[in-house]
Amino acid sequence: MTEPPLFPKGHRPQVFDDPAVDQLYAAYVALATELAVAFDRIDTLERAVIEGGELSRERLEQLSLDALQDPARVAQRTQLAERLLRPFRMFREARIAEGKPLA
Amino acid sequence: MPAFNTHAMQPTASHDEQARQDFVGALRGHLSGRIMPGAYRVYGSKVEPAFKARHGRPPADHDEVRQLMTQEPFYQFWSAMQRRSQELLWESVIDPTERQLPELIARAKQLGDKAKKSARKTRRGTLLLDPKLEVPRYHTAADIHLQPGGYHTDFTTDDVAAGVIYDKGINLYMGGALGPENNLMGDTLLAYLREKHPDFKPRHILDMGCAIGNSTVVWARAFPKARAHGIDVGAPVLRYAHARAEALRVPVDFSQQNAEHTDFADGSFDLIVSHIMLHETSKSALPRILGECRRLLSPGGLMLHLEIPRGKTAIEKFMHNWESYNNNETFCRYMTVIDLHAEALKGGFPSESVTVDEFAPKLDVAQMNYTESFFWKILAARR
Repeated sequence: MTEPPLFPKGHRPQVFDDPAVDQLYAAYVALATELAVAFDRIDTLERAVIEGGELSRERLEQLSLDALQDPARVAQRTQLAERLLRPFRMFREARIAEGKPLA
Repeated sequence: MPAFNTHAMQPTASHDEQARQDFVGALRGHLSGRIMPGAYRVYGSKVEPAFKARHGRPPADHDEVRQLMTQEPFYQFWSAMQRRSQELLWESVIDPTERQLPELIARAKQLGDKAKKSARKTRRGTLLLDPKLEVPRYHTAADIHLQPGGYHTDFTTDDVAAGVIYDKGINLYMGGALGPENNLMGDTLLAYLREKHPDFKPRHILDMGCAIGNSTVVWARAFPKARAHGIDVGAPVLRYAHARAEALRVPVDFSQQNAEHTDFADGSFDLIVSHIMLHETSKSALPRILGECRRLLSPGGLMLHLEIPRGKTAIEKFMHNWESYNNNETFCRYMTVIDLHAEALKGGFPSESVTVDEFAPKLDVAQMNYTESFFWKILAARR
């Protein structure tokens, strides 16, 4: 078996003048994703503890599947995405994008 | 996000793998629903007025808009996030696929063997691969929409990974809008056929560039008396397409062929369809594919091609072209200005038989990625 490539073949765009900024964005999103994973794990564990009974890996996996379309989880993920992107709203342009006054 | 139907050929995601997929879905939904529309606002309130004040006219086209918008901090922020979310999308699906790949390959073989055995009693699908087929350069030059290996790369013997990954990946890409079996595009084109040609009952259907056969299955189900064929240049997506169709118990004949020149006899089909394939070809391939459609259609036969939105205004065209410059959809930038009607004439169809229509599916802006007014193009022609 050939090892699948880490990156797709083709042009890799650079958005910012300094490529390090592009890389920081990528790392920032990766970090947020792993935080989302941790939040889901905490939620799964809390559900298991509240329900009581024996804790096992299989049961936790099952609980996570049951929680897939759970409105509380969907809201938690959406809030995380919103908080993740909030710092960028400090931009003047972001205020324009939101239709807010520039003052 | 609407549910995605699992079947025998989809891997099971672990707790953490599922959490990553769910988050990438939420992030992309937020980027599309809340951030992307802001780029239009920045253009309308700042960039375009400033350009007009300087030049006494609005930007002439999407290329001129591109020169301006790529310098805007808000656009840069959205673009960097959009690119990363696209990479993350594939990564989140690749992990569970690689972990279960030997099992998925074994399952595909079992489903294929079962189809062969029961073909004597009942009609089942088939798979015909051509290891000598030369995969066109428009697939090999860059991995289209950033899926590592694209549609065509085998990383192991009897690989199905490209198909497994594509199936779940495209569902995440449009925030579940493609439907539980990624059936929306097939359904859309089928609804178009039923509206425009209510009495048309095809007997031999060809789906070009079928990839995982998600739309081919829609056509095969809609016309159970017809023989449905799906062709693609990618072997791993076709292995998956065959196994997937068998798992769903829908008979389809898949073969590895280039839509520019197939081995089917003249007039083999009365209906030829494709779903978002044309923009993943090339300037020279496009008229050849349409010419091949004409050759393969029987008299009175119909071809229907569903194409991705390209926008109407300069800013919309620029935003759609994000895919061209950042998502390895390299031919897209030409598709923005190509006249599909004229391309069909190059393929040999008479002008009066060719129509290009627009169709706007009911989507939420969180599922649209680059626009707030999403519409597909449908190129139709009759032989």
